[in-house]
Amino acid sequence: MQRLFEAPAIGKMSPMAKIFAYTLLGVWSFFVLFPIYWVVITSFKDMAAVNQGPFYIPFVDFQPTLEAWRVQFSEDPYCTVSAIGRQLWLLVYNSAVFVVSPVVELNPMEPQICKIYLAFTNSFVISIFATGLCVLVGSMAAFALARIQYAPRFGNIMIFVLLLVVVIFTVTYYGVPWWVSSSVALALFFFLLRALRGYFKMSLRNGDILFWIISQRILPPIVVVIPLYVMFQAVGMLDTHLAIILLYAVANMPIVVWLMYDFFRNLPIELEESAQLDGATRLRIFREIVLPLTRPGLAATTLLTLVLCWNEYLFAVFLATVKVQTMPIMVAAKNTGEKGILWWEMCAVIVVMIIPVIIMAILLTRFISKGVLMGAMKG
Amino acid sequence: MQGSDRQAAVRFENVEKNFGDVKVLRNFDLEVQPGEFVVLLGASGSGKTTALRILSGLEKPSGGQVYIDEENVTDVLPKYRDISMVFQSYALYPHKTVAENISFPLKVRGMAKDDMDAATLNAAKQVQIGDLLDRYPRELSGGQRQRVALARAIIRQPSVFLMDEPLSNLDAKLRGHMRAHLKHMQKSMGITTIYVTHDQIEAMTLAHRVAILEKGVLQQLATPAEIYNNPANLFVAQFIGSPPMNVVHGSLNGGQFTTNGVAIQTAVTGQADKAIMGVRPEDCSIASSGEGTLFGKIYTNELIGDHALVTLDWGDDQISVKAPKDFAGEQGDEVGVIIHPDCLFVFDESNGQRIR
Repeated sequence: MQRLFEAPAIGKMSPMAKIFAYTLLGVWSFFVLFPIYWVVITSFKDMAAVNQGPFYIPFVDFQPTLEAWRVQFSEDPYCTVSAIGRQLWLLVYNSAVFVVSPVVELNPMEPQICKIYLAFTNSFVISIFATGLCVLVGSMAAFALARIQYAPRFGNIMIFVLLLVVVIFTVTYYGVPWWVSSSVALALFFFLLRALRGYFKMSLRNGDILFWIISQRILPPIVVVIPLYVMFQAVGMLDTHLAIILLYAVANMPIVVWLMYDFFRNLPIELEESAQLDGATRLRIFREIVLPLTRPGLAATTLLTLVLCWNEYLFAVFLATVKVQTMPIMVAAKNTGEKGILWWEMCAVIVVMIIPVIIMAILLTRFISKGVLMGAMKG
Repeated sequence: MQGSDRQAAVRFENVEKNFGDVKVLRNFDLEVQPGEFVVLLGASGSGKTTALRILSGLEKPSGGQVYIDEENVTDVLPKYRDISMVFQSYALYPHKTVAENISFPLKVRGMAKDDMDAATLNAAKQVQIGDLLDRYPRELSGGQRQRVALARAIIRQPSVFLMDEPLSNLDAKLRGHMRAHLKHMQKSMGITTIYVTHDQIEAMTLAHRVAILEKGVLQQLATPAEIYNNPANLFVAQFIGSPPMNVVHGSLNGGQFTTNGVAIQTAVTGQADKAIMGVRPEDCSIASSGEGTLFGKIYTNELIGDHALVTLDWGDDQISVKAPKDFAGEQGDEVGVIIHPDCLFVFDESNGQRIR
């Protein structure tokens, strides 16, 4: 009896504990995996099979049909098999549009084409570019916070904010040209910075700056989405790739900084000091020593950011109305048709949406392996 | 790489370093000749590593100046100082092969690949790891990693070499081997070397001159022999030598040191109510009871191998004596100690300074 409850050795579990643990894992796995199974089989059901009651096993409970998939892909005149090449071209084209659009006036391909392909390419382009931007800037910020001591004076920050308010006020209510008021304010700021040097004692530390960055993520996104809508409307960026990419990059920056900060902090500083003595610049050290060593962390962070961008719904539904519709919006759209909720079609779209995430996860876990730091230090 | 012509002199002038309220380095002056091997010796927290890091440029001094070859480098970035450093942890890049590790300083300088490969092989051969170039650091033993770090430091023939306890992570046997290798290499390359250690044997065997630091203050800078034979103060006297020097408390009157009612003739003149007499265990010998300068009961008798270390009580102090290995005294036996008057040091108890 005792043997059932006592662990035979440290690092092993007692039989009862094992049963309990595996039961718990099994229940949890079922909880996680069943919805995916349900989505997949529902995408092969027709209206009758969905409405007449829960059917669980294809071919036994119900006869699977490709109806939902046919509606998505072949009923649309643009969704023929021969059009796949054209859709792939669209992906490349839309990426290029993003890169050159600030310089050359070039519109993304219009959405007369198959909707699901448009949404898919949009999601793809937006996630990749937003994640790339976010991880690039975020990891550099995290590295700076981990290695450089900052001490901005609290008073100086207050002066800056005060002057900014004055600039906005004068521009809005007195019609002062923005460049006049902001250059005056900037000059005033630098003058005050010099004049009041040493006057303010309290200063922020790196920890405070890090917390300030993380705190951006504490705010519920719904709070800021209306102001963001107004802002992007004012600059004419509604329904553009660039707006969504920038927004996603900024929204996920705190997570990247927070995660990468920890990885960078745990790197032995001697490696960087040694490289510094050997004549490497900070950028080179970052690129050649630091980044390769934090690759597992970088891969995990990239995966997380990618998934967050891929799944994002709230910002997209406000800011991406027609041309830059993403997959989550596509899914939600199946909810609001005049024919009621088209569960089977929705599930087909969901399957299309989750496949890339699974592929990305498999590809990136190869990098998330341990033991990269082995051999750097004594031993 | 015989006889480098890039020997540089190094000079610390009144260097200070504070971390907050902690004074890590105070009034530090040190002059190193071109091609010289200087060891900074001290316990942990003595400021020796800080001094090295200030010279490397990784740390900025709070005050004072640092010169390399008469050029004031106090505000010069590390990469412009033409120094290379071996870290205690080796600091090898784990994702690079041995060859890539060694050639990194040249790669940073944009050297052509062929020249780089030749130099890498040359440096690797010099530390006898020419056959390991394709391995990764994790596949190497501690001693091999140490050699890779050395090769990376010598490959660009710096004007100054800095070493921060490079041997402390090796086992005792390997350490002795690497020590000899280091000494040989430094001599043949002739590069000015500053070496930090807490190990007095490394300091004594490697250095042209040893600088002993304690609590951020330079205690003595002299050749190993001078440090051993002529310590400047009580700290140096006790730090160097194994087993450490015996100390006996007493008073000094004229040339006579009095302890527990026994007067000992010394070569020094001077006056001190509270004085300390120091004598090394190897400069004493055991005599039978009733003979000798001092006498007491044996506290313990340890056989070391080539000699026995006999410790006996003298008042509140203990005196250790190196005795022949066949010495058979038991704990509690009464014995005498003969002290050679020439090998006797006297220190002022109030400040630890030597009275000469």
